[in-house]
Amino acid sequence: MRTLKRNLLAVPILVWIGLLVGVPMIFVVVLSFLSRDNLGNIIYQFTLDNYRRVVDPIYLRVFWNSLLLALLTALITLVVGYPVAYITANLSPTRRALSLGLIMLPFWISSLLRTYGWMILLGNAGLINNVLMALKLIDKPLPMMYKFGTSLVGTAYMLMPFMIVAVFNSVDKLDRSLLEASYDLGASRWKTFFQITIPLTLPGIAGGFTLVFIPALGLYFVSDLLGGGNTVFLGNLIHTMATRGRNRPLAAAFSLGMIALALLVLSLYWKVSKDKTGEGLFQ
Amino acid sequence: MKMRKTVLLIVAVLILAVPAGVAANGEVNLMTWGGDFIPREVIEEFEKETGIRVNYKEVTSNEDMQSLLEANPDQYDLAVVTDYMVDILRQNGMLAVLDKSQMPNYANINPVYLGNYYDPTSEYSIPYAISISLLLVNHEEVEKLGADPITTYSDLWQEELRKKVVVVDWSVEIMGIVLKSLGYEYNETDPAKVAEAREKLFALKPNIVRFETNTPEDSLINGEAVAGFMYSNQAVKGNAADPKLQPVFPTEGMPIFIDSWVMSKEAPNKDGAYQFLDFIMRPETAARIADLTKFTTPNKGAEPLLPDYYRDNPMLNLADEVVENTSFYIGVERVLEEYEHIYVEFKLR
Repeated sequence: MRTLKRNLLAVPILVWIGLLVGVPMIFVVVLSFLSRDNLGNIIYQFTLDNYRRVVDPIYLRVFWNSLLLALLTALITLVVGYPVAYITANLSPTRRALSLGLIMLPFWISSLLRTYGWMILLGNAGLINNVLMALKLIDKPLPMMYKFGTSLVGTAYMLMPFMIVAVFNSVDKLDRSLLEASYDLGASRWKTFFQITIPLTLPGIAGGFTLVFIPALGLYFVSDLLGGGNTVFLGNLIHTMATRGRNRPLAAAFSLGMIALALLVLSLYWKVSKDKTGEGLFQ
Repeated sequence: MKMRKTVLLIVAVLILAVPAGVAANGEVNLMTWGGDFIPREVIEEFEKETGIRVNYKEVTSNEDMQSLLEANPDQYDLAVVTDYMVDILRQNGMLAVLDKSQMPNYANINPVYLGNYYDPTSEYSIPYAISISLLLVNHEEVEKLGADPITTYSDLWQEELRKKVVVVDWSVEIMGIVLKSLGYEYNETDPAKVAEAREKLFALKPNIVRFETNTPEDSLINGEAVAGFMYSNQAVKGNAADPKLQPVFPTEGMPIFIDSWVMSKEAPNKDGAYQFLDFIMRPETAARIADLTKFTTPNKGAEPLLPDYYRDNPMLNLADEVVENTSFYIGVERVLEEYEHIYVEFKLR
């Protein structure tokens, strides 16, 4: 009886998700099997052509490109974000609040504006080059823009808070007595860190990795602006196909490919964290 | 007491929020690009003169306008769309035939811009803003790099221009440059010619520093590029920011874009829409719009009224021989998939 009551409470949210996520999702799946005419109008005729095009070797390289960017982004945010989260979790309550506030602060600014900020910083006539030239350290501007690395830095910067907050939560919940026990038994600080802290915060790491990886697949405007459009990611391709390309069925097929990549990472997350409900992602 | 004050304040705000002069003579709903593409002051003047309220919906792409119009044809009176979209909307039966007798100022439109492929009989559309694509070049820097002066698309392939060229980011336009440089037409479908263009396109990759559709002129202003292929309004901005940046009209020919007014077949207020169109085509209004938007005007009557800077600028006041050397991207849908595939391969190199 009690479980029935609990389930009843879930009905509104299930209806909500069903309408706003489920129905559009079904629409995208159906769309990916349809054809279009020369004017870009959708024709209700079943075809597998869209999927045949998605597995074209050139387009598969776009998948690989996106996968690489998302993986490296997640790695960078982990390496940079873990120490920040770890230190923050060990601060006094006031300082901890301040630190978390500062980490979240950039979210108050439009991500597009923050990307332009990077352009002002890294451009040929940008801040860094101007300072270096004024100090006579270089005589020609260092070309730092429009590379894969620039896109990577921008994407990692954009998604850093997700990683920090995810790791912070698991470090925060860490049972300190286990660390003391480790020291008492003669383990060094490093050994304790790698054999106790890391394994115990693994769910946080996996959660942060997932929270960073999935949006990194889709942040195409960062690579457009910072990467100078010099390479193609899945987001760019879907955007072009859906708008100027006037080929929404093909865009839908690519989107499902992207969702498959995201599901792959989610299944890894489920395996690593043993968090079957996905609760850990939202703590 | 405090509570009452708050309530009064909210009521006051709500009353003020309702626009004054509520549509005494009806409303006209139009949609097009944002960024003052149809200047506010022109719209306000129209509203004051006629008492008709104009609702301006801003959109970011032709395809968005198509979706909105096809979903709710009875909610929009007018839209300004680019040439090829006139063609699509016309063929999909979304557009009303325009009654020229309701618009005496239609006579001001320069016939050079009428009767194009997207509306051969000029029954469905009225040209509003014209732009072309062209090269913007910093000749001084080109010389410093040891390259020959740039006068054609072919000059962009020079080895001295490594990582010094910026282009708009759209497969059809970049393939267009290559096809024109080979002496072919836009949107070529002949497999042999496309294969030739593909090879030549790949050879351009090392020279391109950046693909940028919205602000390519910035790359020339800040010096990271010495030549760029962009839309004329962007080249105008670049030239205004740095007079060393000069337009080059490639001899092989240039693309032209005509943003045109169209009326929904189910427009709720056709009378108001005709009044608005007629107002827009008055010579003095058209000249003001040209001055404010920095697009080329198709309004012949407006020419004597244009400000000096506008008339003296070859990118704004397009010479006849330049217009004659332009063409549309016709039949994009036939080539797009193949061009897009080539373009992705090109970028991944």
